Amino acid sequence: MSATKSIEAPNDEPATRPAPVLEVRDLCTEFRTKAGVGRAVDGVSFTLHEGEILAIVGESGSGKSVTSLSIMGLIPDPPGRIAGGSVTYGGRDLTRLDEKALQKLRGNEIAMIFQEPMTSLNPVLSIGRQMTEGIRQHTGMSEAEARKHAVEMMRRVSIPAPEKRLGEYPHQFSGGMLQRIMIAIAMSCSPRVLIADEPTTALDVTIQAQILELMRDLRATTGASIMLITHDMGVVAEMADRVVVMYAGRKVEEGRVEDIFARPRHPYTRGLLAALPVLGTAGEVGGTQLNEIPGVVPALTDLPNGCRFSDRCALSTDKCLAEDPPFADRVGAHSAACWHSDRLAPTMEATS
Amino acid sequence: MASFLAQRLFAALLTILVTTVAVSMLIHLVPGDPVQIMYAQSQGTTPEQLEEVRARLGLDQPLMVQYIQYMGRVLQGDLGRTIRGDQPVLELLLARLPNTLILATSALVIACAIGLVCGFVAAYRRGTWLDTLLMTSAILGVSMPHFWLGLILLFYFAVHLQWLPVAGSGAANLVLPAVTLGVTNAAIIARLTRSSMIDVFDQEFIRTAYAKGLPRALVLYRHALRAGLVPIVTMIGLQFTYMMGGAIVVENVFGWNGVGRMAIQAIFQRDYPLIQGFILMFAVVVVLVSVLMDLLYAWLDPRIRNR
Repeated sequence: MSATKSIEAPNDEPATRPAPVLEVRDLCTEFRTKAGVGRAVDGVSFTLHEGEILAIVGESGSGKSVTSLSIMGLIPDPPGRIAGGSVTYGGRDLTRLDEKALQKLRGNEIAMIFQEPMTSLNPVLSIGRQMTEGIRQHTGMSEAEARKHAVEMMRRVSIPAPEKRLGEYPHQFSGGMLQRIMIAIAMSCSPRVLIADEPTTALDVTIQAQILELMRDLRATTGASIMLITHDMGVVAEMADRVVVMYAGRKVEEGRVEDIFARPRHPYTRGLLAALPVLGTAGEVGGTQLNEIPGVVPALTDLPNGCRFSDRCALSTDKCLAEDPPFADRVGAHSAACWHSDRLAPTMEATS
Repeated sequence: MASFLAQRLFAALLTILVTTVAVSMLIHLVPGDPVQIMYAQSQGTTPEQLEEVRARLGLDQPLMVQYIQYMGRVLQGDLGRTIRGDQPVLELLLARLPNTLILATSALVIACAIGLVCGFVAAYRRGTWLDTLLMTSAILGVSMPHFWLGLILLFYFAVHLQWLPVAGSGAANLVLPAVTLGVTNAAIIARLTRSSMIDVFDQEFIRTAYAKGLPRALVLYRHALRAGLVPIVTMIGLQFTYMMGGAIVVENVFGWNGVGRMAIQAIFQRDYPLIQGFILMFAVVVVLVSVLMDLLYAWLDPRIRNR
């Protein structure tokens, strides 16, 4: 997948910055396990703006899915709980809302789609039922009206013969079609925020492209803001306006997608970019080999002292082992949590 | 769906066929001469009389011929006549069968009511003291033999408190045997319901349902229960057949006038035609119930329904 992207935003800070829709501040989410309390999300802050696609990137275990579930108020408690911070939406802190108030928001103003469309829909309920129940819950439509609306939504996500397919069950659909259904369900109440948790990871590459295209279309027509959770830098390059990179429960880098790709300021981001296959080179004789970041994300109950990435980092020094680098927050700009940001060379695309 | 149904019906017929082979050969499994054993308790039977019985039962014929003759009679609805009293076996069994079905069905209703509720609550509150309490009770329930629990209930409610009659076949007599049979089976259903529901609660489609903003009650009822019920229904079908078996013991404890009590009497009296008839009828009931459960299963699970 190529890392080029049509640049929609001008390089300088736009004069009229879009309004923030969702603000996450110092979010901490803990899980009690047998090995102790693990902070899956540890003081993460970011802002999702009107109509933007914000990518949250990281390996498995970096805390990106827990972040999205925390926003939705869907952290299973026990064993999990939101231990601190705030999630501000529409002037309200979602972490302090009761279940009833959250129910009114979920699927209505903030909707979510998941990684595995095959297991994310109930196998024993018809597609029609699963589409209309959310619509009826939030709009008070009758069953007949809700079905009409569901058919309309299915048309919008390009599902052929929607009236007929409404009566069918998930096992009668392909994975790509089911993800379209999931998107139709999520968009059916015109949410302002769509959280997409690895929406294409489980799909074939050709289907991936179609689903991403569909999400871009929907963003353009509805103006919804999309929080796209992924570990695939290729998807980030194609979709995102801005990027938040997470590692071991922390935000380690944030910036506009062009800046992140051209000049990553955290060695972890650099590693993720290097792990991206470059079309036409990998696998060839004399071609570039696929790079990987050595090691794995540390266990949350057994984090290293100092910088959490230090044990996997080529630039690591004694300072990194001793002191946790703060996130150098230059508001709205490109910033990272690393002592050695300035030692990082630009990526190949920027140099070549 | 049609092929699923055809497959199940074929399996059912095959099961019954195999049972008829076993039943018709049953008489030869007894060591010694079956006719002598059958009539051992009768006084003054002459060797000529025994020979006559042997010829009447066809025991002097080759096994193959015996089976074909047996099947010929069974297909005409003739299960033979009892040794004691010389009554038609089928009539005797059919007269008592409703009592056993009433007992087993009442017990099943009790077992499902207790088992489903306790299992669901334990799963929903998993890891809490309530879960531990319910599941410990379930282990106690599973471990209690029918006849033991039956006797305890009988002693306490019928003899000590005198709330309910000790024995008989009226409506009030149904309570204790149905509770005995129901409670021990409720425990099994509770355990299965718990594990099935825990499995479902962890499924991603439950999270999707919550993410749609559905109220908790609707998620639990429509999404979780419906999906979790599929394996439970199969289990309940099996339970019903166990209850038919358990009824044999419980009917004897409470003097409930069903086929189970008659079967025990037939065994004590070595009344082979009656025992054979009982086993065959039991097999047919079990097979019918399992076909019914398959249908219910298919109705609940669209993956089977639409195959």
